[in-house]
Amino acid sequence: MLHPDELARRARQRVVELAARKAVHLGAALSMTDLLAVLYTRGLRYRPDRPDWPDRDLLVLSKGHGAYGLYAVLAELGVIEADLATLPGHPSDSVPGVEAATGALGHGLSLGCGMALGARLAGRDQRVVVVTGDGELDEGSNWEAAQFAAHHRLGNLVAVVDRNRLQQEGDTENVNALEPLADKWRAFGWRVAEADGHDTAAITDALAGLRSGDGPAVLIAHTVKGKGVPFAEGDPAWHMGSLDAQQLRTALAALAAPAVPALAAARGGRT
Amino acid sequence: MTTTAPPTMRTALAAALAEAVDADPSLITLGADGQALFQGVMARHPRRYLDVGIAEANLVGVAAGLARSGLRPVAAAMAPFLVRRAYEQLRLDVCVPALPVVLLGVGGGLGYGPLGPTHHATDDITLMSALPHMSVYCPADAADAVSVLRSALSSGGPAYVRLSARQDPPLPAAASDGDPGTPRLLRDGDDVLLLATGRCVAEALTAADALAADGVDAAVASVTTLHPFPADAVRALTSRRALVVTAAESLGPGGLGDRTALTLGREGPPLVRLETDHRYPPVASHEDLLHFYGVDSRGIRSAVLGRFTRNTRKA
Repeated sequence: MLHPDELARRARQRVVELAARKAVHLGAALSMTDLLAVLYTRGLRYRPDRPDWPDRDLLVLSKGHGAYGLYAVLAELGVIEADLATLPGHPSDSVPGVEAATGALGHGLSLGCGMALGARLAGRDQRVVVVTGDGELDEGSNWEAAQFAAHHRLGNLVAVVDRNRLQQEGDTENVNALEPLADKWRAFGWRVAEADGHDTAAITDALAGLRSGDGPAVLIAHTVKGKGVPFAEGDPAWHMGSLDAQQLRTALAALAAPAVPALAAARGGRT
Repeated sequence: MTTTAPPTMRTALAAALAEAVDADPSLITLGADGQALFQGVMARHPRRYLDVGIAEANLVGVAAGLARSGLRPVAAAMAPFLVRRAYEQLRLDVCVPALPVVLLGVGGGLGYGPLGPTHHATDDITLMSALPHMSVYCPADAADAVSVLRSALSSGGPAYVRLSARQDPPLPAAASDGDPGTPRLLRDGDDVLLLATGRCVAEALTAADALAADGVDAAVASVTTLHPFPADAVRALTSRRALVVTAAESLGPGGLGDRTALTLGREGPPLVRLETDHRYPPVASHEDLLHFYGVDSRGIRSAVLGRFTRNTRKA
């Protein structure tokens, strides 16, 4: 199994190469790459050789506009073999490894509630992880689902919020303020952890810390929109876009494989 | 006239749902702060009823998630809010993947009468018929609703059942006999066919009685399944009729009149469509609202007499 840092680096390369061929939601795909890399290598019980394994943990990408980030990770794992450019711009059931069509925002958490409850009623030891955007939390349906999950003590449900602080029109706090976000989840009855969403060791630890306990849990992952592509980082203009040849060269140079000692240092000695 | 017992759809379905949950361990029921349909389930299988509260979008999303986990959900809410507030969840989460979720809309049409337009759902049939893979049923009385529930549960795909809010007028037992997927001829007659759905079936029968006194021999048939529409059976019923009148407490698009018109085409008999429109209604009872929109027995009779008088009767 690849180290999540390396899985994320390769997935980002796929995303930027794709963005040189067609317009994609670049910022949203790149902000969550490290999160998905940790989830698929360490967080989920998952067999890439059998994406329909009945006992797998389930990942619902509620922020469906990040589809190409999910496809890129699944392609690195060997789950998706198709040319990513041929796949739909939002997740669809027709794509291998995709658990549910999403991208009309604010749907994923309700689906996750139903899946988690269904697993519990069937006596299956199965966890459900719902990755949401932060701007997406403007949709009230999320809070209907949050209330439901706490009421039914859905301990096998985990939400991961990709807290990159940018929605299409700019800073989430200027559009429709979400803060104090952690307090909101706590007030709804959820266990909360926060982590640097690009530090794979911190993400791993935070998810592990949320494993035991009563009721649903949320990881608020602090991320940078467009992470890994220097000119796109934190720039709302790269919510969606396509790369010209020069931009592609710059992006790929930034995403080049680090020398082995540098990678080891970046991991802080962890493996 | 033999009549069916006159329970409400809710009491009849409460018993039928409890029996269905007894028989099928994969069934699970969900409500949105409305438990009347699920009293039997709650009494016998308390873990297989969930009340999501007043949260229709979440109701439908949770039902979709449960269906994806292998269960077969039956979800109920007041029709106007189930349909309009959760429409995107219905389309994307349930219908596009064709999940086996049965949706019960209580108080469709004008059933909530004096509560006003917030609670009227004359658009439910139109909207639900536009969803991919969705079966749409509009039962005429409590016994018909029970037969629809059994049919919907065995269909294996998404289904919407429009239920009345209160007591239905008694209907002949024939109104719930056999397969709800095909029209039922409740009364034969040579001159005109009254084709009705839901509450308007009772209005059509009353109109037929009045028309008999006018010297017009009217047949009455009920259509319970609006989508997929039983076109062949409707075509057979309408052939050789001098006039067909449809009656439904629904907006036109996708409703009984629309489907019948498409089925008959230019070759069929003349068709008069009685249905609701977008006028803001008065504060009034269900019966008075049916009259306001001209889909009650008086409206049906007038439509027939206006188009089909003694002068044009067969000798």
